[in-house]
Amino acid sequence: MSETMIPPELVAPAFNPATFANRDDVHEIFTRLRKDYPLSQVEVPGYDPHWIVTKYADLREIARQDEIFHGGDRSKTLISQAGEELVKQYTGGQSNIFRSLVQLDPPEHQKYRAVCSGAFSLDGIKAALPNVEATAKIYADKLVSLAPECDFAAEVAFLYPLKVVLDLIGVPEQDHAKMLELTQWLFTYADPDLKRPGSDLTDPQEITRTWGIVFDEFEKYYSPVIADRQKCPRNDLASVIANGKIDGGPMEHRALISYFVIASTAGHDTTAATTGHGMWQLAQRPDILADLKANPELIPGFVEETIRWASPVQQFVRSATQDYEIKGRTIRKGDLVYLSYLSANRDEEAFPDPFTFDHRRSPNRHVGFGFGGHTCLGIHLARMEMIALWKQIIPRLKSVELTGTPRMAESEFVCGPKTIPIRFEVEAV
Amino acid sequence: MNEQELGVHRCGKCGFRYDEALGLPEDGIPPGTKWEDIPDDWFCPQCGASKADFGEM
Repeated sequence: MSETMIPPELVAPAFNPATFANRDDVHEIFTRLRKDYPLSQVEVPGYDPHWIVTKYADLREIARQDEIFHGGDRSKTLISQAGEELVKQYTGGQSNIFRSLVQLDPPEHQKYRAVCSGAFSLDGIKAALPNVEATAKIYADKLVSLAPECDFAAEVAFLYPLKVVLDLIGVPEQDHAKMLELTQWLFTYADPDLKRPGSDLTDPQEITRTWGIVFDEFEKYYSPVIADRQKCPRNDLASVIANGKIDGGPMEHRALISYFVIASTAGHDTTAATTGHGMWQLAQRPDILADLKANPELIPGFVEETIRWASPVQQFVRSATQDYEIKGRTIRKGDLVYLSYLSANRDEEAFPDPFTFDHRRSPNRHVGFGFGGHTCLGIHLARMEMIALWKQIIPRLKSVELTGTPRMAESEFVCGPKTIPIRFEVEAV
Repeated sequence: MNEQELGVHRCGKCGFRYDEALGLPEDGIPPGTKWEDIPDDWFCPQCGASKADFGEM
């Protein structure tokens, strides 16, 4: 019989970005929670009480009920009471600085999602394939040119998905570095190496302050872009977003800017993290590289397993709009629910041997892209670009090994490796 | 059963394929189960999209 209240000291480290520098420590926490407190509440000092959802089946049941479990009524990501208070001051009473698809609820969510759903559909992204494949070749060539050693995270994983999505949006190449910097301020606001310069990590309100600055920076950058595309639409995603209509009218301003923010940040950082994990595995498992070289048709399955393994979006928080019964528990109206996608993807009841990276895993119904109405809009693009990259790299990579321990970013939200030092040999041409 | 009459339906959200010939035995749907025989409240096992989000390939 599991307990309904989790000792705060058990969960508190999972609320601290620094803990995520060591994923083994994080997995130890969630493995214990899945076993002893599979659907229980915790009250960590400084935070409102949260239900902690760690089991795959529970997460899927809650995540697909967008009418009941909202993302926009309270902060969609974990935040302290002090941080949320500052958000309300900043926004004039809202619980989220951003109003992207992530924070929108029905029926508004479907209307905003429809603006880009065609562009990101399986058919919609077909037109992008030639450019994605060309970009994949550029970065595979770059990797080969860096032999015998490089930091795969900084030299390839961060940059390739960045170029893919920013090319789609229509952001000129000279601005890509700025977009990467803003993305890192946003998602790794607490990482000593990637955070916004001058930010104060000891301040519990820092996340709000930094996210406010990031919003302002994006607003400054994209406002003229929006005006330009509204005046003269081009064949790019910026034009689709800038001219998107909701109920026949323009998008609400904060939601419009947030649309650009999510496309310009989540559109590459998650894929970068996943790609990094892929190389990390190849460097530790020569058997996988050999299998993929001999059987390139396994590359899509390899990519799928990297997504499960990486789970780059580690958590989202929902709030209940009504009482809800699940597993003999009652989540009360207004309760906060922390959904751990990272934990669900390692649930022993959902995945045989979940702590083994198995590129032949089938079926592999991970929740790395989320589940339900908020399933990642870029799911097809993400798969396409990762498959394209590995199709370029695998045949040319003879061997690879780590020259040091990869370092994970310190982030409790979106997280991936920030360094992956490798030594590698390329195949003779 | 005439196998040529069995079709494939694809989830418009995530691309998951339901092949009538294969069914989804792990979910209790035996091989050969026609699309119209799947309950309307069934949802995509990969992403949670509704049956209505699927299209025939």
